[in-house]
Amino acid sequence: MNLAGPILVVEDIVKRFDTPDGALTAIDRVSFDVAPGEFLAVIGPSGCGKSTLFNVIGGLLDGYQGRVSVAGETVRGPHAAIGMVFQEESTFPWRTVIENVAFPLEIAGVAKAERLERARHFVALVGLAGFERRYPAELSGGMRQRVSMARTLASEPKILLMDEPFAALDEQTRLLLGDKVLQIQQELKQTTLLITHNITEAVQLSDRILVMTYRPGRVKRVVPIDLPRPRTSEIVSSDAFGHYVAQIWNDLREEATRGMQDAEAHSLRAGAAS
Amino acid sequence: MTRVRRLGTKLAAPALGLVMLVLAITAIQTLIQAGWINRFVVPLPTQVAASFGRVIAEENVLGRFLLTAGETLAAGALLTGVGIRVGVLLYRFRLLRLAFETWIAALASAPLVLMYPLFLVIFGRNAMTLVMIGFVAALPPVILKTIEGLAGTRRVLIDVGRSFNLTEAQQFWKILFPAALPSMFVGIRLGLIFALINIVGVEFLINFGGLGQLINELAERYDLPGTYAAICFVVLVSVCLFAVTGWIERWLRPAD
Amino acid sequence: MAETGRLTRSPVFAAHRVMLLRIGLIAAALALWQAVSISGLLFRDVVPSLGAIGGALARLLTDPGFYGHLGTTGIEIGLALVVGGLSGLIVGLALGANRLLGKAFEPYLYYLGPTPKIIFFPVMIMWFGVGPGSKVAMGVISCFFPIALSTAAGMRQIDRVLIRVGRSFRAAAWQMVSKIYLPAMRAPIVNGVRLGLGVAVIGTLLAETKLSNRGVGFLVINSYSTFDMPRMYALLIVVFVIAIGANALVGRLGAGHAYAKF
Repeated sequence: MNLAGPILVVEDIVKRFDTPDGALTAIDRVSFDVAPGEFLAVIGPSGCGKSTLFNVIGGLLDGYQGRVSVAGETVRGPHAAIGMVFQEESTFPWRTVIENVAFPLEIAGVAKAERLERARHFVALVGLAGFERRYPAELSGGMRQRVSMARTLASEPKILLMDEPFAALDEQTRLLLGDKVLQIQQELKQTTLLITHNITEAVQLSDRILVMTYRPGRVKRVVPIDLPRPRTSEIVSSDAFGHYVAQIWNDLREEATRGMQDAEAHSLRAGAAS
Repeated sequence: MTRVRRLGTKLAAPALGLVMLVLAITAIQTLIQAGWINRFVVPLPTQVAASFGRVIAEENVLGRFLLTAGETLAAGALLTGVGIRVGVLLYRFRLLRLAFETWIAALASAPLVLMYPLFLVIFGRNAMTLVMIGFVAALPPVILKTIEGLAGTRRVLIDVGRSFNLTEAQQFWKILFPAALPSMFVGIRLGLIFALINIVGVEFLINFGGLGQLINELAERYDLPGTYAAICFVVLVSVCLFAVTGWIERWLRPAD
Repeated sequence: MAETGRLTRSPVFAAHRVMLLRIGLIAAALALWQAVSISGLLFRDVVPSLGAIGGALARLLTDPGFYGHLGTTGIEIGLALVVGGLSGLIVGLALGANRLLGKAFEPYLYYLGPTPKIIFFPVMIMWFGVGPGSKVAMGVISCFFPIALSTAAGMRQIDRVLIRVGRSFRAAAWQMVSKIYLPAMRAPIVNGVRLGLGVAVIGTLLAETKLSNRGVGFLVINSYSTFDMPRMYALLIVVFVIAIGANALVGRLGAGHAYAKF
């Protein structure tokens, strides 16, 4: 734990949306800190406001109550110190891998030779050395997500903010990519905030887990993960791992059930209305 | 399945099409020779084939082709320069788009080419009229496809741009425009084809220009086999343009 | 996910602005026209004054003879749509239903579609004479292709399971067509008909400008040869209004209920 103070402070965030069914509170007074170098996972059932939280912290959403600050500065829009990795396929299909990764450097005005050189480093970091000149269409889904990650890392953000980046991948690929993420985080000492619904992934990767309730989203519990570092995906077969997963599922099950019942009631209403 | 059988299945359909075509032509030939079809209304296919060489040699088909092609490409250049700019403008200013996109879509269904006598009066009896007809008649789809491409940019790509705090200009040139290029090309392809169709059509109608005029002239001379041959040739040119631009479009697409 | 973060103007405000913009454009265009007309910058008769055009329009619309020509053109287009539409529909259904037939013959339709049909007019004249027959024929070959192609494509995008349902109830072929295929294909067919209408109008009108003594196309070329520009503008305005209106009507009629696809 770094004694220099938290690098990301999320204070009392409340976010409501106007829907045809009335005002919806997506997040209700969520607060937490992230220390430098820490890996924090936020886990919750569908409908707990995770993606809303992602967009709020990332500065893509406004109109909320509360405050988000990075190294003391209030976040008022996309902040240079926060790098975002999105859930959907987000590589630029018209650029090669290296051109994708060099994108933030290009925006910052770095000269061509230098930015390609720096981008190459990040391409290698995510394990895609040799694929620099390929187009995303030639790569698998997992490889494309790594390109997106490398692109964000190339902007050297203080905080890496990821929204279920591996959601579209199969379990085995996820575990292996999890290894990659652990490696990178170790090497860069990267502060990371991961939004996920996958318990295994959260326990495998993080130092602390925030469990969220179903809508309106609140922090239900904070679970410190006391598994050794450096870690690999082999950790998933350990007893301690199993305990953590069980504990978190216990908390989540209740919320997930509420979510399902709510969804069924909603479609019943929608069906009756038509 | 053995390689031979797989190849056979793959070729079966095109072969069927070709066989039916040959059968149809043979049937027509037989019917004409038997007198069932009036040979002064439908010439013998063999005669048509024979007249190809004659027409090409005597009627300066290459020169005419170049003239028509030149007119079409000129219209294409105008379409690209003007059409894409207007599309970008309409996309950039939301209010303009809300006001006028439907109007342009409506124009796409109007017989703009019917204005050709008007263009004759304004531009005179020369290639300019043809280029302008090709341009005006083909403009709506280019504009509409440009808007469609820009508006259809995937949300997440725009978010990536926002997450890097891009300026509006950067967002447009580095994300929206490249993402819309395939659609824009589809628009230009449609534009080129419409332009060619309208240009050849009007060449035929006003008896001026390249290939369209050739057909008109041969028809007025009652050179039946020649007329059919010239029509076949024009169809061939149009098919080639359609096919080639289609390949280019597919070649651009893998970037998706 | 709903996003209310960005500042959005109310839709009502936008609608007002849109109306203003449209009126503004029309007003500006009319003003520019009148200015050019009066100034005599272009050869005067090419840009007749708005009054002259208005007068020609009024004379046209009150001339019973005009409606005779309009009727002729309308009937030609109507017949073309019926013949071309029905044959296009049948061919499209056949090509869409049978994969082999489709692969064998659809490429011909696909590549022959985007060609200038007016060049076939001399052949149509030889086959159908110089009367309305050749104009109808022009309309038919114009609209046949888009309708056939849209229908064939529409057949292929029908959810396979619906066809299996029909077969499981042992529906006869005509029942499959009328109760399953056609309703499921409503959108692509309507699209094809809209396209077909557009090109049938063009084909017929252009044919009339080439060789006819009746019809709206004839009137247009007649105005050209008598250099009666106001009348030509009036005719063009009428034609455009009707063509755009017909297209919108077909679209509206074909829209029906929007039902969701699962």
